Amino acid sequence: MTELLIDDIRKELDDGNVTSDELFNESIEKANKFQDVYNSFVTIMDKKEEVNSNSLLSGIPYALKDNISTKGILTTGSSNILKDYIPVYDATVYRKLKEAGAVLVGKTVLDELAMGGSGTTGHTGIVRNPWNKERSIGGSSSGSAASVALGIVPFSIGSDTGDSIRKPAAYGGIVGFKPTYGRVSRYGLFAFASSLDTVGVMARSIRDISYVMDIIKGHDDNDMTSLPDENIKYSDNLDNDVSGRKLFYIKEALENNSGNEELKRIIDNFYRTVDKARELGFEVEEVSFDKVLLEAVYPAYNVISCAEATSNNSNLTGITFGNRVEGSNINDIMIKTRTEGFSELIKRRFVIGSYVLQKENQDKLFLNACRVRRLIVDKMNELFKRYDGLILPSTEKIAPRFDEASDKLGDDYLILGNHLIIGNFGGFPSISIPSGFVNDMPISVNITGRAKEDALVLNMANKLEGILGFRGQVSKSE
Amino acid sequence: MSKYIPVIGLEVHCELKSNSKNFSSSKNGDGEVNTNLCPLDIGYPGTLPVVNREAVRKSLMVALALNCEVPQKLCFDRKNYYYPDLPKGYQITQFGHPIGIHGYVMIDTESGPKKITIQDTHLEEDTANMDHMSTYSLIDYNRAGVPLLETVTDPCISSADEAILYLEAYRNILLYLDASDARADLGQIRVDVNVSLKREEDKELGTRVEMKNINSFKTVREAIVSEIDRQTKILESGGIIEQETRRYDENLGTSVFMRSKVDAVDYKYYRESNIPEIRLRDSFISDVKNSLPILEYERRHKYIDVYGIGKVDAYTLTKDKKLSDYFEKIISYGSNPVDTSNMIVGFLLGYINKNYLSLDDININEEDFSSIIKMMSDSKISNKQAKDIFTKAIEDNKNVMDIAKEIGSQISDKEEIRRIINEVFSENSKVIDDYKNGKNVNGFIMGLIMKKTSGKVNPGVTNIVLKEELEKL
Amino acid sequence: MIDRNKLDDLAKKLMFKMNDNEYETLLKEFDITLKQMDFISNINDIVNVEPIFFPFDLELDDSCLRNDNYRNEIDFNDMLVNVKKYEGSKVKVPKVVE
Repeated sequence: MTELLIDDIRKELDDGNVTSDELFNESIEKANKFQDVYNSFVTIMDKKEEVNSNSLLSGIPYALKDNISTKGILTTGSSNILKDYIPVYDATVYRKLKEAGAVLVGKTVLDELAMGGSGTTGHTGIVRNPWNKERSIGGSSSGSAASVALGIVPFSIGSDTGDSIRKPAAYGGIVGFKPTYGRVSRYGLFAFASSLDTVGVMARSIRDISYVMDIIKGHDDNDMTSLPDENIKYSDNLDNDVSGRKLFYIKEALENNSGNEELKRIIDNFYRTVDKARELGFEVEEVSFDKVLLEAVYPAYNVISCAEATSNNSNLTGITFGNRVEGSNINDIMIKTRTEGFSELIKRRFVIGSYVLQKENQDKLFLNACRVRRLIVDKMNELFKRYDGLILPSTEKIAPRFDEASDKLGDDYLILGNHLIIGNFGGFPSISIPSGFVNDMPISVNITGRAKEDALVLNMANKLEGILGFRGQVSKSE
Repeated sequence: MSKYIPVIGLEVHCELKSNSKNFSSSKNGDGEVNTNLCPLDIGYPGTLPVVNREAVRKSLMVALALNCEVPQKLCFDRKNYYYPDLPKGYQITQFGHPIGIHGYVMIDTESGPKKITIQDTHLEEDTANMDHMSTYSLIDYNRAGVPLLETVTDPCISSADEAILYLEAYRNILLYLDASDARADLGQIRVDVNVSLKREEDKELGTRVEMKNINSFKTVREAIVSEIDRQTKILESGGIIEQETRRYDENLGTSVFMRSKVDAVDYKYYRESNIPEIRLRDSFISDVKNSLPILEYERRHKYIDVYGIGKVDAYTLTKDKKLSDYFEKIISYGSNPVDTSNMIVGFLLGYINKNYLSLDDININEEDFSSIIKMMSDSKISNKQAKDIFTKAIEDNKNVMDIAKEIGSQISDKEEIRRIINEVFSENSKVIDDYKNGKNVNGFIMGLIMKKTSGKVNPGVTNIVLKEELEKL
Repeated sequence: MIDRNKLDDLAKKLMFKMNDNEYETLLKEFDITLKQMDFISNINDIVNVEPIFFPFDLELDDSCLRNDNYRNEIDFNDMLVNVKKYEGSKVKVPKVVE
């Protein structure tokens, strides 16, 4: 039953056909059954949290990314340095879900400290794609994506700094929503890059995403960057009329100069999706975007995210928490703790981040990246004066095989492959929606909208989802 | 060869007074070890800073009192370094946009007033406290995150004396504003000192040496004097000064090497992205501005120039804002400022010190105080009587005006008493005979005087006059 | 110029060690990063663009500042779950020399 949509599960619960205990047990059973092969979880709960609530989510099982603080429950960030860390406080998103009666099933595997996109760098092993276990699910919200795609839970919570919700959602054939920056409190989310980090939701329908968003969004006194409360429910606005809504796609992002067959099929699927959008009454136009800026997206992201990450993770020294490795003096402790605690990828990113912040490099590297970020965001905001959203394929490829998945920095400028980052640069709400299959693997399209207009983005996505026909999709793994 | 001139700059760190810490809600103040804590204070993952309004208000007060330009937007930066007393691995501070820039503090040097220019003052957070044992160290995080204000002067101070005058003036500004208790003995105020030497004709400053974390003003003085001496000797023997950080060792009486410029830490300052830019509305700034009291320097000069109070007394009166406020309230009821000042400095403070009291123990309200001074200025009572009234009021915890009435209605005038005594003599010739025959008659005569005046004469004065009159017989 | 020594110094300041293979990959990544950033430096008039540090202006003013009420959320007992070494109620580390 955990593979159903929330409305259906709700009905079963309310009709007394199933109890929340039975649902929890079913989730746990599935979680355990799939764990060996797919490795979605760092921790599977052995006890159900009992909270009484009348909310729609009461009794509904869900999974939480393991970089979100849960009091008394191991939270590792999928890093060795935190392999024994037990938080002493609850993240706001977790507290809100708990108060709404949602039932935590487990803490999901991520790329170490959310810094990666392959699902292969977590300290408990790789996460496999439920549609094909030889393939990656992407990351960093790898386990959150897999657990929803496997039907273990109807929804999960992830975090998104560059594309960490939307990409694994796309590779997993589910919906992934990165809300506007600050829409959901970051209090309790292990910081990767504070100016880009967002807490978001993964589910099998946009309606389910909206139900969860209605619970977790809102201002939080513990997070100064959280937005003021809005007086609307997203789930009440999903079916608003979209005719006359204007979308654009970026011409330069859809170039396929190499003639890659897989990309061609992805682009074909996209144009068919655009046609369907037009049937719904959307106006969709092609827009040309400064290619230099598009090519600058990833380099700027690399510099900004590494810089913020190196500072944000300076607290991981083993002194008051974390896997302290003893040493002869205080520096020795920190060095041994961090040397053993971080994997290679993390260290490389920290070194890059540290270099770009150094006094002599900061202007040319870090600040130039922040300057380019402004140019890109300004350009997007200018387009958002005329358009309600940007629509593009979520990814430039299907979920890669493990031998193709790499977290090493490449020197190719992937415009389509990196466009999701634009959503984080400007804090724009952005959602990935399943739109078809290529080589038996799911692919998606992504809509990015104006900052703070989460309701409209969910509304447009819901309409599109309705016509695309993949609502409620679960992988066929067994 | 011309002499070397010292050029000194000071960086003063001071903990601000508030209920809670700068970026978390845990207590700023006393507490059992490791109890004033929130997850942020120990750097737990996922925690976020939330800025304390009171810390901003206090730092803004200081900035305005230092005559600084203040920003329209509040911004914070990170200073990144690894140290066990810094749990987050960075200190939240203000690097690019301090709460105050380009200010000044006036001090009175022997050669006249001098403006000490302030480069900036910025709001940041304190670190944890470490105890160093023989083989290990222990950390208490209660202090981690306490609001800290760092005020940096330009290199414009030219002697240890000036440095101390500045430090005292700065500390008094903090005390006047009630922004901090500024107790050096509790580590609430800490000073970094930069010293360089140059020849009079040199345009450029010499190479500077920094001495960090000095905990008392007395030690600041020693450190500056000894550092000037050390650098002078090096330069005079043809050596060169290395740019370095040193630590002043009180036992050795000199600074010792810590690290050179090459080893200077790159703090990789960058914007704290968990704290958005916060606009300071005009109303917020003007509210703070309007709450500023008149400060020590201005008060002192008013006392000297307008009231004609002596320099030393003016210093004494303004050193403590409470005392200065008391004085000003008293004279607002019309008593003469000089007479009032004389009574406070010449009598009240001495009394307080002698009896280990504080100004808070003095129960004389300002209006009554003023009335007594006025009576004294009008010669209705003597200076001694005024002091007696105050003493009695304090000791017996009685109302000043009641005592004044009592004392004021007594006959204390010597000549008046002399007249009464002579009347008694002429009415009682037998007593005079007894006196002449060697009998002790003092008590008896006192009784007669009291009876005659219904006890209204001042016994002390009467005794003295009586002795004089008897001797004349 | 980025070389092995420079990287070693950077890593040391970040309080960790890296091995030869890791440095090799990192050197390549630096090549790419710096090349890409050169490309950004060449964007017309980039130096005159005001850098942004937030996705958008959150439009906050002083009314968003926290009221100065204190509340201690945790104490040493809570820290004990994660602290490896302590004495009394203090966290213990090898002697820190300034």
